[in-house]
Amino acid sequence: MDAYIDGNEAAFRALFERYGPILLRLTRRHLRNDELAEEIVQQTFFRLHGARNDFRRGSKLRPWVMTIAMNLVREHWRRTKRRKMTSLEVDTRAAPEADFMPIELRQRSELLHVALERLPASQREVVELHWFQERPYAEVAKIVGTSEGAVRVRAHRAYTTLKQLLVSEIRGDE
Amino acid sequence: MTSGSERPEEGLGERLRELDATDSPGSEAQMDRMFTDMKARCDKNDRTLTGFLRSRSTMARRLIVLSVFSVLGFAGWFAFPLIGDNARTVPWTASLVTFCVLLVVAMFMVTRPVHLPALPRWQSVCMACVAVGATVLAAFWPYPAAQAATHDHTGGVVVGACMGAGLLLGVPVYALLRLVDRGNAFGSLVAASAAGLAGNFVLKAHCSVPGTSHELLGHASVALLFVVGLGLVHRVTQKPT
Repeated sequence: MDAYIDGNEAAFRALFERYGPILLRLTRRHLRNDELAEEIVQQTFFRLHGARNDFRRGSKLRPWVMTIAMNLVREHWRRTKRRKMTSLEVDTRAAPEADFMPIELRQRSELLHVALERLPASQREVVELHWFQERPYAEVAKIVGTSEGAVRVRAHRAYTTLKQLLVSEIRGDE
Repeated sequence: MTSGSERPEEGLGERLRELDATDSPGSEAQMDRMFTDMKARCDKNDRTLTGFLRSRSTMARRLIVLSVFSVLGFAGWFAFPLIGDNARTVPWTASLVTFCVLLVVAMFMVTRPVHLPALPRWQSVCMACVAVGATVLAAFWPYPAAQAATHDHTGGVVVGACMGAGLLLGVPVYALLRLVDRGNAFGSLVAASAAGLAGNFVLKAHCSVPGTSHELLGHASVALLFVVGLGLVHRVTQKPT
C-alpha cells in the first residue's frame, strides 16, 4: 500500500490480486449474485483508490478493505431492502460456478448460502468476518462499528442458529 | 480457522469448512478483467474536479470546506447589512451559534472517511430532523417589541424573497459538500440539512422582518424544502449499487 501511495501503479494491481479474490468470495456469500459481487469488489477498490491519502503508512490494509466492502454490502441491502425470508429448500439458481459443480457440491454450497441468509444481516457479517475471514473479535468490532462484547453476542447467536440449521442436517446425512 | 476458544463448536466448524470449500475464488481472467475496468474508472475519475477533491485526505477535505464556509460567511456578514442593534438579542445569537455548530457537525458527517464503519441510518435522519427542528424553534424566539413595531409585515412577497434567497444560498453549500463526499450513505440528506442551515444562518443574520409566521414560512421552510426536496430527489434518482 505504501508503494501504491507513492504512485507505483503495479502496486495497485498487486493489492487487487491479493485482496480481490478474498473480497469476491465475501461478497458472493452475502449477495449470491456474481455480477453484483464483482461490482462491489470493483467499487471497494475504487473507494480505496479515492481514500488512499487517508492511509497511515505501516498500518494494516485488510481491515480497510473489509470495512469498505462491508459498508457497500450493507448499503446494497439497505437500498434493495432485500431481507426476504428463505427456507432451507435447495435452490440452485444463483449458486456460484453452478454449471461446473457436481450436484452434491452445488447443493452443499447452496445449503450454506441459504443458512447464512436466514441470519440477520448484523449476525451474518460477524460470521463472515470472524469465521470465513478469520478476523479476531476485536478487529471485527472495529470493522462493523460496535463493541467487542456486542460482536461476541452476535457471533454466539449466529453460531447457535447455524448449528441448528446445519449440524442437525449432518445427522440427517448420517 | 479461528483461534482457540473463540471458534464455534467443532461440529459446526467442520460443517462450515466443508460447505464453504465448494465456493471458488474468481479465475485469473475474471480478476484481470475486473481490475482493468476498475482502473479505467479510477483514471477517468482522477481527471475530474470531484475526483480530485474526494481523493484529498479527510483533514484536507474538512479544511477546504471550513475555509469556503468561513470565507462566504465573513464576506456575507460584512457585505450585507445585519439586522438592527436592538434585534441582536441573546436568542438571535444563540440561533446563529446553533446553526453554525450543526453545520460543522453535518460537514464532519459528510466528510467521514469511507474506511470507517458507515454511520447508522438513524444518525443521518436525526441530523435532518434536528436541522429542521432548530430552524423552526428559532422562528419561535420572539423579536423585541421595539424592533417588531418598526416593520409593516406584508407577508407573501417578503416571505417569497426570503425563501428564494435562502434556497439560493444553500445550493453552493450543498454542492460543495456533495463534491467532497466519498459516497457516504445518506450523505445527500445530511448535505441538504447543511444547506438548509446555511440558508437559515444568512437569513437570520440579515433579515430584519420580524414575526414568527414570516420566519416559519420564509426561513424554516428553506431547511424543510432542502431536506424533503433533495431527500426525495436523491431517493428517486438513486441507482442500485
